[in-house]
Amino acid sequence: MPPKNTTKSAKAKQKPQEDQREESLQAVVLADSFETRFKPFTQERPRCLLPLTNTPLIEYTLEFLANAGVQDVFVYCGSHADQVEDYINASKWKLKSSPFRALTLLKSTASSVGDAMRDLDNRDLITGDFLLVSGDVVSNMSIEPALAKHRARREKNKDAIMTMVLREAGTGHRTKSKGSRPVFVIDPGAERCLYYEEMGSRRGRSRHITLDPELLTSNAEIDVRDDLIDCHIDICTLDVLAQWSDNFDFQSLRKSFLHGVLKDFETYGKTIHTYIVTNQYAARVKSLRAYNAISKDIMGRWVYPLCPDSNLVPDQSYRFRKGKVYQEDAVVVATTSIKKTAIGSQTNIGEDSIITGSTIGRRCRIGNNVIIEGAYIWDDVTVGDGSIIREAIIANETTIGKNCTIESGALISFGVSLPDHIGISMDRKITRHQESFFDNRLDPEDSDTSSVASSRLVYRHPSASSSASSISTLASLNDDLEPIRDSSRRSSFRSDPSDDAAETRDFHLEATASILDGLQKGDPADTIILELNGYRMSTNASQHEVRKAVVAAFMKRVSSLSGEDNASGISAREAVREVFSKYKGLVERTMFDKDVDEKVDQVDFLLLLQKEAFGRPNGDQLLLFVTKEVYDSDIIEEDGLLQWWDNERSAEGEMGKVRDLTEQFITYLKEAEEDDESEDEDEDEDMED
Amino acid sequence: MPSSAGVLTPALTTFSRSVRNRGTPIESSIENLISLLKRRQIRDSKPCAMATAYLLRRVVETFKIADVSGLIERVHQVGERLLAAQPREMAIGNIVRRVLGVIREEAEEDRDGETSGYSDADTDSRPHSAGENGSRLPEAPGAVSRALLSSPLPRGASDQPSLEPHEDGALQRLPVLTAHASYASTNTGPVVTSMFSLLSHPRSNVALPTATPGSQSPGSHPPLSNTALANLTAAKDLRAEIVEGIQEILEELNQADDQIAGYCLEHIHSNEVILTHTSSITVQKFLLKAAAKRKFTVIHAETFPNDHESTHATVIGKAKGESDDELRPESFQKSLTAAGITVILIPDSAVFALMSRVNKVILDTHIVLANGGLVAAAGAKVVAKAASMHRTPVIVLSGVYKLSPVYPFDIDSLMENGDPAGVIGYGDGDMVNKVEFENPLFDHIPPELVDLYITNLGGHAPTYLYRIIADHYRAEDTELDKFNAYQ
Repeated sequence: MPPKNTTKSAKAKQKPQEDQREESLQAVVLADSFETRFKPFTQERPRCLLPLTNTPLIEYTLEFLANAGVQDVFVYCGSHADQVEDYINASKWKLKSSPFRALTLLKSTASSVGDAMRDLDNRDLITGDFLLVSGDVVSNMSIEPALAKHRARREKNKDAIMTMVLREAGTGHRTKSKGSRPVFVIDPGAERCLYYEEMGSRRGRSRHITLDPELLTSNAEIDVRDDLIDCHIDICTLDVLAQWSDNFDFQSLRKSFLHGVLKDFETYGKTIHTYIVTNQYAARVKSLRAYNAISKDIMGRWVYPLCPDSNLVPDQSYRFRKGKVYQEDAVVVATTSIKKTAIGSQTNIGEDSIITGSTIGRRCRIGNNVIIEGAYIWDDVTVGDGSIIREAIIANETTIGKNCTIESGALISFGVSLPDHIGISMDRKITRHQESFFDNRLDPEDSDTSSVASSRLVYRHPSASSSASSISTLASLNDDLEPIRDSSRRSSFRSDPSDDAAETRDFHLEATASILDGLQKGDPADTIILELNGYRMSTNASQHEVRKAVVAAFMKRVSSLSGEDNASGISAREAVREVFSKYKGLVERTMFDKDVDEKVDQVDFLLLLQKEAFGRPNGDQLLLFVTKEVYDSDIIEEDGLLQWWDNERSAEGEMGKVRDLTEQFITYLKEAEEDDESEDEDEDEDMED
Repeated sequence: MPSSAGVLTPALTTFSRSVRNRGTPIESSIENLISLLKRRQIRDSKPCAMATAYLLRRVVETFKIADVSGLIERVHQVGERLLAAQPREMAIGNIVRRVLGVIREEAEEDRDGETSGYSDADTDSRPHSAGENGSRLPEAPGAVSRALLSSPLPRGASDQPSLEPHEDGALQRLPVLTAHASYASTNTGPVVTSMFSLLSHPRSNVALPTATPGSQSPGSHPPLSNTALANLTAAKDLRAEIVEGIQEILEELNQADDQIAGYCLEHIHSNEVILTHTSSITVQKFLLKAAAKRKFTVIHAETFPNDHESTHATVIGKAKGESDDELRPESFQKSLTAAGITVILIPDSAVFALMSRVNKVILDTHIVLANGGLVAAAGAKVVAKAASMHRTPVIVLSGVYKLSPVYPFDIDSLMENGDPAGVIGYGDGDMVNKVEFENPLFDHIPPELVDLYITNLGGHAPTYLYRIIADHYRAEDTELDKFNAYQ
């Protein structure tokens, strides 16, 4: 063990000499996934703290790093950073006995993996090769052989910038994602990844990928594999960070970064390699489906020694009993049949209940005659007599009345209480959390359409401090919603809920890139419109998405023109004017409600603008300049502006703050024409898409 | 700092290094060991026992001994935490009990010295006399080995009816229970110190039950008493003695395998066929030592799926000293084939078929239980069953440190289930989805399937183990933790 006294303060830069003296391994944990697959739970808790067989996910990741002999760990918090911080500070990893020399929490407002990586690059904390893992990796693998290979490769070739660790898993494996299947084209000799694409399982791009014929001619042997679990364990070099910084539009780890670097191989010669694990466990809890599968793997001891009875968290006391039951101390079980289940301490289970393949947290009260099959029940849950729960996830402090039936795929979030005799049908999500529309700003990759769709799945209780009487209306309300969104709802376990999101994300990324490209090159507006339309048709994207892409591209252009890093920087105001006046046509072509009273499209445009501005440092200024500009140049009409201003979503919470500067401008408008107040507010949350 | 190694997965070596480092606070060493145990980075009886002894030595060194009960309490607590971390590595509990025994004993000697003038001469002289006698044996560490030396008793000796517990009086039991200073402290008269001295005077041993305790002190005792009295004031440092006691336990751990190997010639004869299982270093040393003198044949079951790779490596002579990076003597060991022995590697399924030709089965064990049963690597029970079917003698090699006073009330809780990946590849999606796999790491072998135990003290019948246990552990420490104190 290294001497502990070298612990350095969080912000201090590591000196190069220190780096040479002792070659320590650093690791970066992305505690935020920048995704919304665990909604509604992630609205109240970060994903990395959700319990997997009663142990928070991040414990598994940190155990993995401890096993790998990592010494410096940087945990990158995104949403709910305070919760992550509280947890880590109270955990054993912060004690003196921690195997890590330093564990540093990095908080940032990053809204994607890309932003986080660029931020990391700026902070200058990383001094050598490092492990990049997401905060939901579960693995008992020893990283040493992979690391040795990586280092040997580095010796020979400085351009081998990254090694991905992939787990081999045959066809139809439960732990692999069903939704978008990653396809790796690998040169088995050099263990080099040549090409990467995600193959969706539905819609047009379902079952084929397009290979560059050159791949076939220039390589003697290639493997095309879709049987690999991508567990997001990457051994990276400093060049990786540089790549992220150079390509500011890279957002996601695989789809943009990996794809992008491989595509530019001809130009830059950077190579990315793979290390395929065949006999140890490695997986990532990236969706609810994976959550289910990995829970089973843990209970089936595939992850040994990271099993419940290893008691990873200091206060746990699990023991392995007959019938594959992991049970903590002080569990009271009446005559009940329990199989393949983990039960936390101080839980009471009533008589004649049947519990199989489930996880039950601490301090739960399970009544008599309850049937629980394959369900995940977290802490402090009360289940009334005679209830039936199948393959659902029930979060902390939930109360379920007597004789309730909860069908598979239902997700019941924190603190919900259900009265007696309630049936929750398949795949319903129930939360008390009041969702503000832009709550999911952490998830820019998911287009808004999908988040609307998924938020529609979430039953929002009108009174958050739910009284039992109002809950009884639950069933009928849900029934109303059902037909509307039927197409977009699917079993949380059986498929990957964010498939749609993936598709629209694709469009968004590509479209933004192509518009931005056009703006930078100074192409005429018509050319860009033509390209955009073509692309829109081919991907069947909605006008909303087009607007989103346009807004994103324009804002990027504006900030790159006016940015501080730009030597020939012009003021933001000028930049806005330059961009918007030149491409007025393009913006106008995205809105089609000039002659209607309700300016839905314009409101939408402004909302997107506001959202985009929100994520930027001087967003309030930008928003003012742009609103003024679009108003002056008649792109947006006054009605549109005012409707936007009165729109509840634009005023909400954090989002609202960005408008502060714009307020004067709006007041001026209102005073100038006080006669025309639009009386019917636009209260609909649904956008046209 | 292992600067050259780059990444170093922590294990026993790094742990012992960090424990020895004076700068490491004791609490973090404890936590460190607990997490190493939980992560199974330290596993198997011997490394666990070593790590526990290192840690407890440090605990004693750092503890400010105001009174001994505080120290006992402290060691007890640490032991409980370690056992809770990995209840199935029972060697940890054994070492904790041994250390507690050492502390109690030293404390009682100390107290005796203060309270009663005449008995301290006797008690203090014990180490000297034991050391003297012991110097003829392969290993003679002082205070602790007194207990060890008391039992290299030929199996015949245990049959002597006079000492058996049916005569329950304290006086009759005293001579054998020397290690139990609880008796010594309540007793006013001088105590017979060691079984060894009894054995060196077999006549007096037989005469013992009728003799009064005061009259039958060993011969070496009276001349020493004066010097011991003089030493008494000097040898006050309790801590040093306890640390020394722990040091002796460590030495015993290191030498156990060699001592066991010392008995090989009594058990392995020329042209025998020996069957063994797992890649145990203890068994390999035993066989190698015999191979120097005799020619025999070894049939080696490969122990799929948990140990087959290292078994193969052992057979072809490329055994690495476990996963430890330390260059231990084992890693330089010759293979049996290099010593001129025919070794036949067989799959586990062939054990029964070959058993009819086997003269002896020699097994290694993970832990030995109070009733003479044992917990060994999975597959050992098949071997033992087959052997009992064919009336082939089964010999189990085990250091005394593996001998646990815990009675197996709940056998299931002693078993550890491993990773099923050895049984079937995780890549086989359909199988993983639909079939459940179990891969137990251990087997429980009931005492009736074992014919002989060879410990570093010699050979014992399973029925005799209770005696060695009584010699090594104090009754008050048997129920060390809530995990092993079953309902």
